[in-house]
Amino acid sequence: MKQTPELDRIQELMQPGVISKDGFLGNDTRNLTDILADDQRIVTNLGFTHQELANAMEELTEVGKKAFGNPVLVRGFLEVTVDSSKGKMASPFGGLFDKENVVVVNKKTGESIRWTTLNIHMIRDHGFYEGKGSYFRVEPEDLVRVLELYVG
Amino acid sequence: MSVLITTSIITAIGVFLAALLTLAERFLLDYGICKITINGDKIYQVRGGNHLLGSLQEQDIFIPSACGGRGSCGLCKVKVLEGGGPLLPTETPYLTKEEIENHTRLACQVKVRNDIEILIPEELFSIREYEAKVVNFKDLTYDIKLISLQLKGDETIDFVAGQYVQLKIPVYGNIKEEVYRAYSIASPESNKKQIDLIIRRVPKGIATTYIFDYLKKGDTIFFNGPYGDFYLRDSQREIIYIAGGSGLAPIKSMLHKMIEEGIDRKATFFFGCVSGRDLYFVEEMKSFEEKLPNFKFIPALSNPNPEDNWLGETGLITEVVDRHISSDGDYEAYLCGSPGMINASIKVLRSKGIPEELIFYDKF
Repeated sequence: MKQTPELDRIQELMQPGVISKDGFLGNDTRNLTDILADDQRIVTNLGFTHQELANAMEELTEVGKKAFGNPVLVRGFLEVTVDSSKGKMASPFGGLFDKENVVVVNKKTGESIRWTTLNIHMIRDHGFYEGKGSYFRVEPEDLVRVLELYVG
Repeated sequence: MSVLITTSIITAIGVFLAALLTLAERFLLDYGICKITINGDKIYQVRGGNHLLGSLQEQDIFIPSACGGRGSCGLCKVKVLEGGGPLLPTETPYLTKEEIENHTRLACQVKVRNDIEILIPEELFSIREYEAKVVNFKDLTYDIKLISLQLKGDETIDFVAGQYVQLKIPVYGNIKEEVYRAYSIASPESNKKQIDLIIRRVPKGIATTYIFDYLKKGDTIFFNGPYGDFYLRDSQREIIYIAGGSGLAPIKSMLHKMIEEGIDRKATFFFGCVSGRDLYFVEEMKSFEEKLPNFKFIPALSNPNPEDNWLGETGLITEVVDRHISSDGDYEAYLCGSPGMINASIKVLRSKGIPEELIFYDKF
């Protein structure tokens, strides 16, 4: 799919070594517009919106960060650990975000998932989950499964 | 054969057009010498065509910037009163409505194409770039390092305890452009030949990956500074220091200052860690307690491991502060750590009646 010059510019900022060491695209060779369209389809098929997934991530992050690096049990089975650093992380879409790495372990299944505060913003405001193979890519299916999110 | 000829012709036309564009840019888009007027009275002559951030840097005027001028951090804000051209879409995400109204721009996005008039804080004129040698490299914890940078030649640096510098991270690995990252100075301000920085590894971070995996003792590195208005205020109030992780750095520098200047104000340093493996500089802090009779160091572990054999304070650092601080004291507070820790600490301190204007912290 052809993409706008604005998305071209943003995709340039997503390359390794521009904003972050490994970039935001992993080994994904698709255009940004295709990545966004494909993930939109996946999320819709799962029965969610980007906003709903971002809200679920933010809710856990907010609880976890109050513990300053200690694991917190949420909903009785999700262990949330938020590791915060000084400084800000720039978004390729614009804006600065706190450097917070979040790890959530589902204690029932042993599965885990990670994200950053920047992921939450990129998902909520731009429907961007990062490219395939990116260290911080959030797979929508994994998110729904590990957090045990249900439609409605 | 005809395919070959056609390809050659197209290639030749391409080369010709590229050369034409280069020449056009060089001669037709020559903006000549432009005048940058700063704060109404300082005038600099620069060659037009470059971005304001770089043009100022050539004049040894350093505007704080974390991304090295790529328009992705939004830190290099200056007020452009005249000659900056229209606001660009690359700037607007970083500017508030008020900033746009008062002519704030990103120096890395504004091109100097004509005479330009700007406003910057006066203190930025004292900021310089320094070349230094890494003379000490020490692991403080599993993810925190101390690095000592000795200035080359006769260079010296004047800074105030609590201020920070911006380390220039050179091109390395797949990193194609220089970036800058801010780190607080941990050493005494009396040592003008060497600064110590305390740096925590950020997973996948451009700067800390370089520092932890590439930089070594004996290497040369550049930094600029000093920056910031996080410094010990001159008063008689009791001091509360709160830090976590590498946030200990500026507090350590302030404690050196108290020792060197004989400041005997009552002071307590609350240092929050998760477990024993995150603790460092405990012995140094104990020695500060001996030198400063009114100083108390209170490290606290929020989740000590059995092998830590921890007998000290436990709980979140905010809970420990809450237990130790009274509601009727005459305090001022200095905080350094993650934004989450700072926000939570401010909440506790405010609940103890400490006014917001007496709570100081760095915003980077």
